[in-house]
Amino acid sequence: MTNMYPLNPADYFTLAMDEEIRNEEMPGSLCGFALELDQLPNIIILKQRITEFGERFPIVHTRLKKHTKRFYWTDTLLKSPIFFEHICQNPTEQNTFHNQCILELLNIKQNREDQSPITFHLIQSVSKTTFLMRWMHPFCDARGAELILKYLCTDDINLRFNFNPLEIQPLVDQQMAKYSWWQKIDLFIKAKRYVSQIDQLRSIIHADITAKPQQLNFQTYTLTLEQSQTVKSLARQHLGITGTSLYYIGCFMRALHAMDKTQIGDAYCTPYVFNLRKNKALSPIFGNHVAPLFAQAPKSLITQRSALFQHLKQQNNRAIREKLDYAFLPAMWAASWLSLNRYGNELRKSMGSSSERSSFWFSDIGSVDLPNNQLLGSTITKVLHLCQITSPPALAFLSCQLNQQLSFSYNFIEPLFTPEWIADLHKKMLEELITNTN
Amino acid sequence: MKQQIRNFIFSEIIFVAEPTSFSDDDNLIESGLDSMGIMRLIVFLEEQFNVTLPDSEIDPDNIKSINTLEKWILLHKA
Repeated sequence: MTNMYPLNPADYFTLAMDEEIRNEEMPGSLCGFALELDQLPNIIILKQRITEFGERFPIVHTRLKKHTKRFYWTDTLLKSPIFFEHICQNPTEQNTFHNQCILELLNIKQNREDQSPITFHLIQSVSKTTFLMRWMHPFCDARGAELILKYLCTDDINLRFNFNPLEIQPLVDQQMAKYSWWQKIDLFIKAKRYVSQIDQLRSIIHADITAKPQQLNFQTYTLTLEQSQTVKSLARQHLGITGTSLYYIGCFMRALHAMDKTQIGDAYCTPYVFNLRKNKALSPIFGNHVAPLFAQAPKSLITQRSALFQHLKQQNNRAIREKLDYAFLPAMWAASWLSLNRYGNELRKSMGSSSERSSFWFSDIGSVDLPNNQLLGSTITKVLHLCQITSPPALAFLSCQLNQQLSFSYNFIEPLFTPEWIADLHKKMLEELITNTN
Repeated sequence: MKQQIRNFIFSEIIFVAEPTSFSDDDNLIESGLDSMGIMRLIVFLEEQFNVTLPDSEIDPDNIKSINTLEKWILLHKA
């Protein structure tokens, strides 16, 4: 009998993004975590562990298929390989080989129905080793991807068996079940009012939208320990212990504004997700278990640093006090019955105008929580964080922390943004993060 | 009060394999209480115990354990 695993309402949200990206003749909503390692891990054990992972979680070997109007991860007759090795043959290309290889893997165009939901890649040259995990966003979210990495990095087999393969109800559905039908309608209306209010201001978008999207590129910067401590201390000073992510968002809005103060629009706006999983939980691994919120700041506030941070903090506190973090769940459920294009237009775009609501995409996964920060005896020295993006906004700012050091991955779509523009943006971002002026 | 706080934290915010072995003095922040979790916890505490907990007092000293949370609430209930 063929196993079919249904998508949950939050998975449909990412599937609508996948559709949007594919409509732009780009590869769809592919994401990646790349771990740079200090040495080559034991490849035989790595292969065994990936095989074991696939056997314990057979959903890994499925394909995304449409049956009637719904999508399902569906068993395939033959298991295709999910582990690949990429070896640099030319010693003169070692410096560029790793990034080039990652970019090629994130830019491969394949039919959705033919694509493995997740693949693992060991990229090797004489002086460097990188382990890349690439997945389709509807398959899992960033926290789920981190759990998969955690599974692979856990050497004790008993601890690996703590990752539960039993199917559990998606957290979006679990939360929804807590509300009566009239409470769901109330939440639905609340979500609609929330986005209507946000959509009153036209988002500022820096991408050159006259250009046709061609490929994803990325630049990752790791801050020194001293810089990282300064940033964390300033974030706490300005926004308290609950506002590190908002500090990044505020600084990034100011850095973008500094790139071109005349850019058309009324406000900067970015979505950020509220994760429904309990922190430190080892399940659920697969599927998306998130609800979106928005950070928005009018142009007039961008130049006033302290006022901007206070505004973002109050906006976030108000959103949680008014339970807007749950408000999108019924809307996501209802929209999942629409076509993917309509889902995207109804939930992702600005209502009425169908223009892009996001000035940029944002994700902060916080401290990377892997056992001893090692993969089969190799120390993880750097984490690269990747995702395909719709155009516009064609720009994503993704942050994480490893060994107390902050790491920022700027993902961007070329030629809507250029590497030079992004390098300049990072300089301005760094100034914003470590400056203490009001 | 402590039991209600415990129930909410372990059913909604943090995963602990054995909640009964988690003491009232154990550090919640080190156990995974993050910024979103803190805000959701505060909203719960305010609704449950009918208090207002000022944003200016959201710091690790008040939030680090179930005991410090109880003290913080009682300070504002009085």
